[in-house]
Amino acid sequence: MTSTFTILDGGIVGLYLLATMVAGVMVRRYVRGVEDFLLAGREMDVYLGIASLAATEFGIVTCMYTAQNGFDKGFAGAVPGVLTFLAMLLVGITGFCVKPLRDSGVITIPELFEKKFGPKVRWGSGVVIVLGGLLNMGVFLRTGGDFLVNVSGMDPGYLELMMTALLVGVAVYTILGGMLSVLVTDFLQFVVMSVGLIATTVFILDKVGWDTLVRTVQVTHGDGGFDPFKNESMGWSYVIFNILLNTAAVLTWQTQIARVLAAKDSKTGRKIYTGTSFFFVARFLIPGIWGIAALALLTPDQVGDSSLLAMPRMLGMLIPAGMMGLLIAAMLAADMSTDSSYMLTWGSVIYNDIMAPFRRGKWSEKKGLFWNRTIIALIGVFLLIYGLWYKIEGDLWTYLGITGTIYLSSMSVLLIACCYWKDANSWGATAAIIFGALLPVSTIILQKVGPYTEWFMGNGTLCGIATYVVVALAMIIGSLLKPHQTGKAAV
Amino acid sequence: MNVLTEMFSSLDTHWFWVIMTVACLVWYSTITVYVAFKGFGDIRRMLKRMSGPRGPAK
Repeated sequence: MTSTFTILDGGIVGLYLLATMVAGVMVRRYVRGVEDFLLAGREMDVYLGIASLAATEFGIVTCMYTAQNGFDKGFAGAVPGVLTFLAMLLVGITGFCVKPLRDSGVITIPELFEKKFGPKVRWGSGVVIVLGGLLNMGVFLRTGGDFLVNVSGMDPGYLELMMTALLVGVAVYTILGGMLSVLVTDFLQFVVMSVGLIATTVFILDKVGWDTLVRTVQVTHGDGGFDPFKNESMGWSYVIFNILLNTAAVLTWQTQIARVLAAKDSKTGRKIYTGTSFFFVARFLIPGIWGIAALALLTPDQVGDSSLLAMPRMLGMLIPAGMMGLLIAAMLAADMSTDSSYMLTWGSVIYNDIMAPFRRGKWSEKKGLFWNRTIIALIGVFLLIYGLWYKIEGDLWTYLGITGTIYLSSMSVLLIACCYWKDANSWGATAAIIFGALLPVSTIILQKVGPYTEWFMGNGTLCGIATYVVVALAMIIGSLLKPHQTGKAAV
Repeated sequence: MNVLTEMFSSLDTHWFWVIMTVACLVWYSTITVYVAFKGFGDIRRMLKRMSGPRGPAK
């Protein structure tokens, strides 16, 4: 495969990487304690919050699975983005759950749960959040490497080396500056990423043409390429699962909720959500258009075995020198902002909640910072190891959806119950956590080793819906079964 | 310009995706420029506050 990556492109990428590293490392001196490290002292304002949330929620892995959705499902593949937009807009306007969460002054969601359900539920919540989050982000590195190799035409033998170097760079500034470095680098990365995404999309639309894109979708997918309910691989179960999944993510996804918690106050947090909400349409539709362009331009031989790689292969052939550097810088920006934020925010749950029983005595700020930094370094090591050996079966979005559901289902139910149901208690919460973790893990195992491998592979979304329903029932039944106690109202 | 003409002419059949695509590009371009200016100010104020004396946790 040929690529247009030149020395000029290398210069653009190098300049971007240097600027990011310098900015990320320079702000470390403002970090005085754990709250500064994990939440930037809760000093984040609206526009920085929008930049940070958008940059974090768009990584190379996002670009890959949303483009794969475009390739495999046509325009209808962007439906999850539209659903996320609606969910985030609604939560931002109403303050549903996020207002009481931010007003409580906690560092993480499980810390809020302790007030209502007790320390054991806090600890269990921390464990499932970390389990789901780490499995989810475990695939980021290889997917990002696959993209860069296919776009730049680099020797695939360098993939591991390149991604290791990138992760080390990100880990350095995240370990030193925590959320403060994440926010400042996210801002730079948002600007670079956005310019690259918009320029590339306009270029593709101009080169390929809107009519060609529409015709390709019509010929390949028929009406199902425009309407999810008419699409054989989607249908009502896909739409319902994505409504549940994306609403739960808006309420409890660690990287998203960390922006609400780092905001100056709940009003600022809500404005960040409202202001960023439409970005989630772009997050699916822009790479989706790239995926459709790959469908229009590539032959089956050029696509190969996996539709996941179609989009980067198309970009490698289509994008001219100069613009290629901007595109790669944009995608590196997207990936770095995602990796740094994921390492930090999931690390915060390990420190704040899983390690809570071991921190009964008051730890010094210095000791707290040391442990937070150590945890981030260990997450980085995990990402390297897991990312190198795990091979995804099925499409990437479904894998991410199922692994995310390990905690999204139970945590969203717990959060809603914690904020608005005064009779919710630790029995219901514990039952919800157990079922919420058990069902998605069972689905992954059955997809891998069987029995009924084929059915479970083809019905991941039905299993996802079942998980949310069972978890909600577990919370209700468990809470009603516990002998009544007075004194604990909704927080 | 040719693309815009093509998009406009397919409004009657695929209006939802035409509107979404145009809205995405217009909104995203606008918000990028706006956030780039305003976000820079947010960073300056945030660092200024963090370098000064702190109040109780919020």
